[in-house]
Amino acid sequence: MSTIKLQLNIGTKTLPNPVGVASGTFGYGSEYEKLIGLEHLGGLYTKAVTLEPRPGNGIPRIIETPSGMLNSIGLANVGLDAFVRTKLPYFKTLKCPVIVNVAGSSADEYLRLVEALEEFDEVWGYEINLSCPNVKKGCLAFGSDPAQVETLTASLRSRTAKPLIIKLTPNVTSIGSIARGAEQGGADAVSCINTLLGMVIDIRKKRPVLQNMTGGLSGPAIRPVGVAAVYNVARSVKIPVIGIGGIMTASDAIEYLLAGASAVQVGTGTFVDPGIPEKILSGIETYMKEEGLADMGSFHRFIT
Amino acid sequence: MNQFSAHVTKNREIALDYYELSFIWSADNTPEPGQFITLRCGTGTAPLLRRPFALSSYNPETKTARIIYQKRGEATTLLTAKHPEDTIDIIGPLGNGFPAPSEGSRPVLVAGGIGLGPVLFLAKAMRETQTPPLLIFGARNRYQVPLEIIEPLSASIDIAVCTDDGSQGFKGTAADYLQEHCPEHPEFFTCGPHPMMKAVYDLSRTCRARCWVSMEQIMACGVGACMGCAIAVKGEKPFARVCVEGPVFDGDAVVW
Ligand SMILES: Cc1cc2nc3c(=O)[nH]c(=O)nc-3n(C[C@H](O)[C@H](O)[C@H](O)COP(=O)(O)OP(=O)(O)OC[C@H]3O[C@@H](n4cnc5c(N)ncnc54)[C@H](O)[C@@H]3O)c2cc1C
Ligand SMILES: Cc1cc2nc3c(=O)[nH]c(=O)nc-3n(C[C@H](O)[C@H](O)[C@H](O)COP(=O)(O)O)c2cc1C
Ligand code: FES
Repeated sequence: MSTIKLQLNIGTKTLPNPVGVASGTFGYGSEYEKLIGLEHLGGLYTKAVTLEPRPGNGIPRIIETPSGMLNSIGLANVGLDAFVRTKLPYFKTLKCPVIVNVAGSSADEYLRLVEALEEFDEVWGYEINLSCPNVKKGCLAFGSDPAQVETLTASLRSRTAKPLIIKLTPNVTSIGSIARGAEQGGADAVSCINTLLGMVIDIRKKRPVLQNMTGGLSGPAIRPVGVAAVYNVARSVKIPVIGIGGIMTASDAIEYLLAGASAVQVGTGTFVDPGIPEKILSGIETYMKEEGLADMGSFHRFIT
Repeated sequence: MNQFSAHVTKNREIALDYYELSFIWSADNTPEPGQFITLRCGTGTAPLLRRPFALSSYNPETKTARIIYQKRGEATTLLTAKHPEDTIDIIGPLGNGFPAPSEGSRPVLVAGGIGLGPVLFLAKAMRETQTPPLLIFGARNRYQVPLEIIEPLSASIDIAVCTDDGSQGFKGTAADYLQEHCPEHPEFFTCGPHPMMKAVYDLSRTCRARCWVSMEQIMACGVGACMGCAIAVKGEKPFARVCVEGPVFDGDAVVW
């Protein structure tokens, strides 16, 4: 009986298993410590951290949609200083890799965030959230222009040797070329997808339900979009792809792995049942045994 | 806080579209009045998110907890189909409950509609400890008054039922009733529709009394992780999360 290898190399480091929890859906981890064993997570991706504290968008911020939800949280977070003071000490106590999700409104902000976090060993790596509008470039998302992505990634690369994961937005015409920009800039991996732009209207009040008008769609409703994005991206780059979007079960995760992902993140699914990541991991293991798959790479030979 | 699979012991209609669900509590901590649970009402992907419900009673001897819920949309309709021996997926107890009333005050408990659950739980707890509270319950009409749940309490506490159409008890809203019958040195504890709570809060300002309000907001995680359940508050930070900083707030802290 051959052994199964669940580990995955990202740059210079190794993720213990392929099932992580997605940024913004798991807070800073402590919120869930009483409900699940965090040591089983193959990566805890933090809520986005920005240079300054952000109160977040107006209310209401969330609404359920068919098999999904729409959110406009607006990167509500404590800001870099408080993050370092109040959140990092907790990460030190955790056994799972903590990947800090970094967001900014200018290239400079991204760089300063990474520089400030470099010295802390409890920061395993970075996930760069490119869905944010670049205020200096007409507020178009950073992640919508391959050249901009390559330049930003290269600047970040020169400042860190830790795993650098570029998180891609699906709200673009060619996600594959954005991924190539990230790879050429020196990224160790790409993760996709972030939420899809959506709107829900209250027909009696005759205005959008979310105060911000639009929001990001997540949950099972977006899974086929995510799987297609991963399929596309995995054929555009050689670095590992981390699949995200609507994963609720092991078979959902396996779809992503077969499409070309080497790991996955669970977001909205943990709201529904915090035990989902662990169930998915054991489901993936069972599937690998049943199908005679030895490691994460072995999923990729079926769909070409 | 724990996630546990609970056996349903009873689920019955107590007024028009209002139900009481009883189940076996197996979290480490016993729940306090004002705290809530989240419940996964379906098993598939629609409805998707867990739904929050305030606890309406807890019996430490039988380890039985209850919620009172209104059938509104998909999730609560699915809930009405639960039978004894079915299991439900629960996370709780969550949030902060009501504080103890200050000494010398007369607790005035004001509930409207689905706000009845937490207020009943509080009334029962107060019955045993301090000055018996005054409980005011407002509903649209007599069909929405779960008399058999409220009435047994009338032996130990004062209860006023109000209906908008006057078909049961006082004709008018709970706030209208309070305008006319507010006791001396009141301290308010309220849960219900936003306009009702605001009216109670406004009244508390005029009689310089404290007012504790149990707020509602749409929730995704229920544990403080998603920042989705924010409400506007006064003070340093513009928002507070209902699920961890609440659901019970000092009325003075809320931006009405
Ligand atoms: C802290 C708290 C305590 C509550 N306690 C009670 C209670 O004791 N009894 C009771 O009947 N109801 C209670 N509610 C409201 C209850 O959660 C909603 O009635 C329920 O979610 C409706 O779901 P639905 O699918 O049947 O209806 P839907 O048609 O989906 O929604 C009807 C309304 O319910 C609310 N709602 C929908 N989804 C959510 C969500 N994910 N989180 C919060 N609210 C939502 C919205 O106001 C919506 O307009 C409480 C809510 C909160 C926040
Ligand atoms: C409430 C909420 C907050 C989120 N916040 C962030 C964030 O701060 N940074 C980020 O990169 N992605 C954020 N996301 C996107 C998720 O990480 C994930 O990419 C997306 O939700 C799709 O996965 P899912 O369908 O499993 O939820 C957020 C998603 C939700 C639902
Ligand atoms: S519901 Fe997620 S923070 Fe309150």
